[in-house]
Amino acid sequence: MENRQRVAVLLAPPSLYLLFLFLLPLGIMAVFSFRAGTIGAASQVYTLENYQEFIQNTSYHRLLWRSGMIALTISCFSVIMAYPLAYYLVFRAGAKRVTLLTLLIIPTWTSYLLRIFAWKLILGSSGLLNTFLLWTGIIEEASPILLYSRGAVVITLIYVWVPFVALPIFAGLERIDRNLLEAAADLGCKPWEAFLRVTLPLSLPGVVAGFFFALIPTLGEFVTPLLVGGGQGAMYGNLIQDQFVRALNWPMGSVMSLAMLVVVLVLIFVFTRIGSGTKLLEF
Amino acid sequence: MSGKKSSTILWLLLVIGALIMSGCAGTAQAPTEPPPMGATEVPTEAATEAPAEPAGGAGRLVFLSWAGYELPEFWGDFKAKYPDVAVDYSFLTESAEVYSKLQSGFEADIVHPCSNFWKILVDEDMVQPIDTSKLSNWPGVNKSLAKQGEFNGQQYWIPWDWGFESVLVRKDLVEDVPGSWGDIWDPQYKGKIAINDSGEAAHIITSLSLGLDPWNQTDEEYAQVKSKLMELAPNVLAYWSGQTELDQMLAAGDAWLGVGAWNASYVALLNEGKDVEYIVPKEGRTGYLCGFAIPKTSKNYDLALEMIDAYLAPESMAYLANEYGYGISNNDALPLVDPEMVKLLSLDDEAVIASTIFYKYITPEQRELWTDTWSEVKTSQ
Repeated sequence: MENRQRVAVLLAPPSLYLLFLFLLPLGIMAVFSFRAGTIGAASQVYTLENYQEFIQNTSYHRLLWRSGMIALTISCFSVIMAYPLAYYLVFRAGAKRVTLLTLLIIPTWTSYLLRIFAWKLILGSSGLLNTFLLWTGIIEEASPILLYSRGAVVITLIYVWVPFVALPIFAGLERIDRNLLEAAADLGCKPWEAFLRVTLPLSLPGVVAGFFFALIPTLGEFVTPLLVGGGQGAMYGNLIQDQFVRALNWPMGSVMSLAMLVVVLVLIFVFTRIGSGTKLLEF
Repeated sequence: MSGKKSSTILWLLLVIGALIMSGCAGTAQAPTEPPPMGATEVPTEAATEAPAEPAGGAGRLVFLSWAGYELPEFWGDFKAKYPDVAVDYSFLTESAEVYSKLQSGFEADIVHPCSNFWKILVDEDMVQPIDTSKLSNWPGVNKSLAKQGEFNGQQYWIPWDWGFESVLVRKDLVEDVPGSWGDIWDPQYKGKIAINDSGEAAHIITSLSLGLDPWNQTDEEYAQVKSKLMELAPNVLAYWSGQTELDQMLAAGDAWLGVGAWNASYVALLNEGKDVEYIVPKEGRTGYLCGFAIPKTSKNYDLALEMIDAYLAPESMAYLANEYGYGISNNDALPLVDPEMVKLLSLDDEAVIASTIFYKYITPEQRELWTDTWSEVKTSQ
């Protein structure tokens, strides 16, 4: 009995937290998605029209697709850049590991906005990159395109997410029993074979976790596109923000948020399948 | 070995903390400044810190306003008269937030949205009439501006700040300075205009360029406006949502035209020594007007009135014009404003003011429609 109570006490805070700050708001949003309006009498009418409108409006789909592609690009590149970092930290860094890990994390201690603004300074038309390109003679006129574009959104977000993606990979790599690698060597594996057949498959869960660390937030991202995206950088999250804040159309904003949630859930399902099915990589 | 492990775990915990924090930063801190009046520097950190709890006793005022408007220079003698009253500012990034915050139970004593939200807040019974006889500075308030805050024969809104919206042009970079709203569609500005990220503003200027009434259109007319607006996208370099953002783009020369720019931007760019012109489009400038009201839920009506009165004082208003370059509602303050500023901002130019098209109330349906169209424009490239 005593034990049970202790478990209950321990579980209560996270459960309540999840219930009141996650599930309940989600439910409220679901209710909102069926309302005919945000204000007054219309908010008491329930309808499926919002969903119909969402299904019919191709600009929503196009943007959701585009944002999905941007988020996938960012996540893939973040993983590609983070993996060697994590690998080095785990297998090669030795005594310097904690110092290096700190260095990796330190940028995340500064304000997110500050880091985005820093990228504005780098990519801007009188920024570091343009100045450098002008100096080398590669371009003749400073180009604002470096900053106000989809590419700028991708570059900035990759920068932001690499440290966060590196950590789960780091954790995944660290869990690997070194004896397995020794065994592989004893059995005649060359180092790269050992990597492909032992290290990589065993680290995949960490890779998948890192991938989602980057994918989920970037799919709904709206601050970075707003600041560095310019005329073509708008993402799905910006549209949701517009619905809630500008159009004061909470029902449509809710429908759009739920649609994104569905996309994320589908992606998680697909990729966890890949992650757990490490057999795919065994040959 | 175990020491190493545990320190690694510690680091991971720290990082997860950082992750959560950055997550918050990414979602909660949209650095959008107010549509009509981004202050020169916006304390985004502070902007998210809404008061921990709604106003309670008489010793506390909750002021829902725009960043930059919390300065003691606007307080007149309020601080001297009520040294013990704590004033908590909660910052807006959109007028619509006044509506959504009040609806979700946020207890404010003074709110400060702009004129396009005045009627709805009155209609929804969220604000209470103001006893203007208790405002010592009321007699100086511009009558035509005051009239816009009157509903059902009662004064609900006290107009405070206003300003123009027009096209701010980097004269040194463009070949031709546009003379009308319609000129911004000219291909010579391809990829060179920074436009206010507001479906409402975009709808209004597009309608004006077509010679249509923005607020009263048939379906065919609206279709015309929409297709015209879609054609603007190739000219857009970026959509700005705060004054600082626009000022930087113009100062850097990334953008040649700042569309929907406020006169405050004009002053800021002139101060930077840039060769800029703030045009008077042949259709007329557009203009915003913002002001104060006291929500029904306020328990500090009299104290809130005192605060509003302090904000209306000539010294406070003159500070707003001199330092920020905004239009002011209290005519008694004009003698205190730098004459050059008055001229620069056309604060006393009746002809320009008379031709200015101020924002009007829009229905929720219009708001939805215009915003949807705007989203389409923004995502078409």
